[in-house]
Amino acid sequence: MPGRPPRVTKTEAIVLRYRRLGEADRIISLLTPHRGKIDVVARGVLRSRSKMAGHLEPGTRLEVALAAGRSMDIVTQAQGLDSFGALRNDLDRLSTAMYVLELADRLTVEHADAHELYGHLHNALVRLARGDGLQLVARTYELAVLEATGFRPELTVCLGCSEPVEASHAWWSAIEGGLYCGDCAGRRPGITPMDATVLKVLRAYQSQTYEDAGRIRLTDDLAARLESTMHALMHAIVEREIGSARFISTTRRARVNAEAVRSASEVTSDVISGEPEA
Amino acid sequence: MIPDFPGSNTSPIHRLIDAFHRLPGIGPKTAQRLAYHVLRAPEEEARELAAALIEVKESIVLCEHCQNLTDKSPCNICAEMSRDRTVICVVEEPLDVLAIDRAGGFKGLFHVLHGVISPSDGIGPEDLKVEELLRRLRDRDTDVEEIIVATNPNLEGEATSMYLARLLRPLGLRVTRLARGLPAGADLEYADDVTLGRAMEFRQEV
Repeated sequence: MPGRPPRVTKTEAIVLRYRRLGEADRIISLLTPHRGKIDVVARGVLRSRSKMAGHLEPGTRLEVALAAGRSMDIVTQAQGLDSFGALRNDLDRLSTAMYVLELADRLTVEHADAHELYGHLHNALVRLARGDGLQLVARTYELAVLEATGFRPELTVCLGCSEPVEASHAWWSAIEGGLYCGDCAGRRPGITPMDATVLKVLRAYQSQTYEDAGRIRLTDDLAARLESTMHALMHAIVEREIGSARFISTTRRARVNAEAVRSASEVTSDVISGEPEA
Repeated sequence: MIPDFPGSNTSPIHRLIDAFHRLPGIGPKTAQRLAYHVLRAPEEEARELAAALIEVKESIVLCEHCQNLTDKSPCNICAEMSRDRTVICVVEEPLDVLAIDRAGGFKGLFHVLHGVISPSDGIGPEDLKVEELLRRLRDRDTDVEEIIVATNPNLEGEATSMYLARLLRPLGLRVTRLARGLPAGADLEYADDVTLGRAMEFRQEV
């Protein structure tokens, strides 16, 4: 006779998001290696005396004890393993962390094994917190989670005729997640010319180790084109807007504006003080 | 799901239960209890409740300066000339104004964002009263020297505070954040890494 499942289970998890439940409780979405994504109830975490609230912030890796509930498990203990504190001091890192968490949330279903994706999410958070390049972390994470969830984009051969596609003559379909050659592209709707340099970088990211991929130097312009291509692909796959992708663009615009104001004020102060231009 | 009641689904009692059920934190059972409480209460009490609901919708507006809820604009806080007009405390919700004002240590002005940046819920800076804050600083409260960002110390609150700092620093303003650390009556053993780290970083001489 099979035994009854244990009433309290322990698991490692990363907090993806939460939403409010009643006066002082939250429903927390956790990504776990073996149970996949699960929603659990954390009682009383909105009270300032809560002992668990700080451990249940999105982006925290923790060990959690869960008591079986009627519809959702209830958090009985939470102990943070890594809070990736450095992310919380830098807006660009924080917005990218929000993006990797949102992708993990959108690309997983509840109670399905997510061992591989859990590892990719953990790696991405570690790399962001230690200061690796944002583009490198975000793009390699996107490609890794797409592979883990069965959406690996086709970046080498044509989706129509299966022949290899030259980077300089490639067409791109974000909806279908792959390339078309010039001959096959003409007959397809929603296809755009693929930026050859973007394609070369994506091919390198897809085929090389993370360390090798990190040696590729990106200009700001190339990084923006790369990001735009991948955000469009992710948008097509999750079939809805990814709010944190939009927030990344908003924060970048704010940074560019701030830098423009700073340089304008520096020029003005140089003119006022009569200093020659460098 | 509201259970069926005698009579049609558009019966007054069903409509009242449905109306209570739409309020945040009210489940179907509580909605039923509230509806039957109203039914059993004296008619005068029901009229007072109805009048209060109508009045709050008709008379409460947003203060043209701080965006707080008020029955007249500018609100009492913005109109109080004795307040320090060089400091604005930016908060997420109107209830945060009450909490900070009740604590008594702050005598400056407020600005209510009416939310917090939460990209995964589709809430970006354009959905908050950020533009109103920028306009206020440009056009009206030009004496302001410091902005205290008093958003909650969670991921979304941090994102909002850093985003505001990025927008406001180029205007030559000092942008500060509420101190973070251990709450009164806390237990070190249960504190998380971020809180303990911040408490240690911003320690004070005894």
